[in-house]
Amino acid sequence: MTRASPAPAATTVFPARKILTMNPAQPQASCVAVRDGRILAVGSAEEVAGWGAHETDSRFAGKVLMPGLVEGHSHLMEGGFWKYAYVGYHDRRGPDGRLWKGLRSFDAVVERLSEFERGMRDPAEPLLAWGFDPIYFGATRMTTRELDRVSGTRPIAVLHASIHLLNVNTAMLRRAGIEAHTQVEGIARYPDGSPSGELQEFAAMFPVMRAIGNAFARGGMTEDGLWRFGRIAALAGVTTATDMLSDWRQESVENLARVTAHEDFPVRIVSAYRDLDAPSETENGLRRLEELRPASTDKLRFSLVKLVVDGSIQGFTARLRWPGYYNGRPNGIWIVAPAALAAAVERFHAAGAQLHIHTNGDEATEVALDALEGALARHPRPDHRHTLQHCQMADAAQFRRMARLGVCVNLFANHIYYWGDVHYAQTMGPDRANRMDACGSAQRFGVPFAIHSDAPITPLGPLFTAWCAVNRLTASGRVLGSGERIEVPQALSAITLGAAYTLTMDHEIGSIEVGKRADFCVLEDDPLALAPQRLKDARVWGTVLAGKVFEAPHA
Amino acid sequence: MPEGASRSGRIPLTVVGGFLGAGKTTLVNRILAGVAGIRAAVLVNDFGSVNVDAALIADHEGETISLANGCLCCSIGGDLVDALVTVMSRTPAPQWIVIEASGVADPWRIAQVGLADPGLELEGVVVLVDCAAAPAQLCDPLLRDTLTRQIGCADVVVLNKRDLAGAAGLRALRERIAQTAPAVPVLDAAHSDVPLEALTSLAPRFRSRARNRGAELDHAARFQAVTLACKGRLRAARLRELLARMPEGVLRAKGVVRTDEADAEVLQFCGRHGSLRRLESGASADVGKIVAIGLRGRLPVAPLRRALADALFRVED
Repeated sequence: MTRASPAPAATTVFPARKILTMNPAQPQASCVAVRDGRILAVGSAEEVAGWGAHETDSRFAGKVLMPGLVEGHSHLMEGGFWKYAYVGYHDRRGPDGRLWKGLRSFDAVVERLSEFERGMRDPAEPLLAWGFDPIYFGATRMTTRELDRVSGTRPIAVLHASIHLLNVNTAMLRRAGIEAHTQVEGIARYPDGSPSGELQEFAAMFPVMRAIGNAFARGGMTEDGLWRFGRIAALAGVTTATDMLSDWRQESVENLARVTAHEDFPVRIVSAYRDLDAPSETENGLRRLEELRPASTDKLRFSLVKLVVDGSIQGFTARLRWPGYYNGRPNGIWIVAPAALAAAVERFHAAGAQLHIHTNGDEATEVALDALEGALARHPRPDHRHTLQHCQMADAAQFRRMARLGVCVNLFANHIYYWGDVHYAQTMGPDRANRMDACGSAQRFGVPFAIHSDAPITPLGPLFTAWCAVNRLTASGRVLGSGERIEVPQALSAITLGAAYTLTMDHEIGSIEVGKRADFCVLEDDPLALAPQRLKDARVWGTVLAGKVFEAPHA
Repeated sequence: MPEGASRSGRIPLTVVGGFLGAGKTTLVNRILAGVAGIRAAVLVNDFGSVNVDAALIADHEGETISLANGCLCCSIGGDLVDALVTVMSRTPAPQWIVIEASGVADPWRIAQVGLADPGLELEGVVVLVDCAAAPAQLCDPLLRDTLTRQIGCADVVVLNKRDLAGAAGLRALRERIAQTAPAVPVLDAAHSDVPLEALTSLAPRFRSRARNRGAELDHAARFQAVTLACKGRLRAARLRELLARMPEGVLRAKGVVRTDEADAEVLQFCGRHGSLRRLESGASADVGKIVAIGLRGRLPVAPLRRALADALFRVED
């Protein structure tokens, strides 16, 4: 680096209780020296002192440092949602560090919404909430009866965790114009035929979305939303997170550039262009990639292309191979037709782009691998690092095929906990549920792998995600496929270097090594010293991004 | 009738579906170029493939093209909710909205928004089928469920590219479709030259202009319309039964009637799906008549009259 006036760059040495480097050649150290936002030296106090004058910052002397965690599959929408009330079943930490306890009854949901309602001034403003998940309440569904207790006049909308369903109160039904005469599938009803307040899927939800100005979807790309996302990520020890489905419109890009450039914005964002089922979108993506890649900065990278092949398993929209859904439901849907996928994959691949391909069901995975194999045969390209995202049902043969093709995988380990019981009983059945999100197979067959949260679908927290991959426990306490468990060190690698590799950033981030960016996750507890069952409880003190310290708020 | 439709306060919505290559984009281009006298907003999946004569473009801003004839074309992008909210909130509001579904989408999932939202009125689901490619697609284990789902939800099936299929092939395909979607009107077309009557009940309103311009989409001679007067009060339950079991041959039916539920309800039927919804407050309409459209010579006029007479409240009721 050349400078106008060569002043000696400041060097800071951070001693720590322990440094887990993720570098197998030097797995642990006690000090790390930082200069110019990069790692200057790693070792003992004596070993790092040789670079000359330095300051010592001892605030981590009692703490454990890891490389900054990398969330390889998340969505900025998480930041948009936190503007509204969280009413999920599981504990979740908000951007200000406050822990919102999981709500285990409809009464608790009503109570929290009432608390929010009391804080609202404008009586016409809708009360919005998110994260509600009915699967934990058995056969009983939430209705207007509960939500009307919060308010008889203020419209209320509660978005489910799946984001494909809503619950609303009577005032919202009225505002949206949904009544007994509205003859649409997806409107749940009381025995007398009047709407009970649960609205399923696009058509039934639309009148409400229109009434609230599509607020849930629009919030993620606002400046406030981006800041909230950054804070959520930093709280979880993350220093690099992905924006896995971006339209790369000028307004979105400008907001992202402005916010990430702020010195207080605590995470690097890696953005993926979402390709759609249309040839002109593919050409647009290639053009935008060419325009935006050079505009990438240290903290914002436009480098990936995302393709979505099928839906979700728990929504019965994923494409499954024989024998299909365990409960006999018809096969799911394509988001892009197999032939169109092959064409888009080939076009992007030949142009040198890196692809991240969403495949939940094993038929979608097969079709994606066919497309990749075809493109690779016609346009051989070393080190492409195309990555299958979610890839929840892949079997051993598909993992072997990924290995042969040099394809990486980012497995949705959090699903084991949140939906594992549903997969066992309804969607996949015991045998296939036991091999879902098969980190053990990825490791055995040498497929480079990461694990992820898909926030806001599940909470952003790589240490929890690692815990899922290590323990494979469902919410009800069932172990799903102990043979697919991995060890704690491998899981920690998956949430650092493993994820960095799938983003083609392993030369910059993901381990604490000389020359890499000085991004650290600062922990109160040593994850290697904790019992594997307690890995998720490792406390995050904060992060360091390019040498700058971000202490997490502790509310 | 068309005037009544425009004053019901709701924006008519047509959804165009069909697998990749079935000719949806060509149809969108035809609608944009061939429609005059009505502010149509077309939401498209493949925005870059929309091909409008540059001389017709009044404005091109981001992912919206405004045409000199008052029509709009907008990209759906990744978020149909957003695209639809945006287009519905425009001033002046569009008079007709057409959504081009993606090639793998289930158009009925989208179309129901026309029944759910008080600001919209479903005009029907038109599914294009590629005569040349469909026989193979319907045998492909990866695709057949997607195609079957699309055809199964259609109000009108258009066998497109009929010039590429032989007579025997066309017959076999018709049989196949009759199995999947019994009693659904099936039309054939070449080069996506789909009759306006298949797309919307607004057809008569912009036909005059279209004819002057010598535009395509004008197939008036193929169709027959009948106006059915129903001045009395009708039983809504009977009307809903009629909508669920419409006599074969009715392509569309629309009108405003008085029922035991309300003084003015909009009856709307296309192909397979019908609805009876209260007239939006503030909207005015010519109450007491229904217009039905079908292929010339195939419109079941007598059964329709009988059904409406049966639905009427009589003195003895």
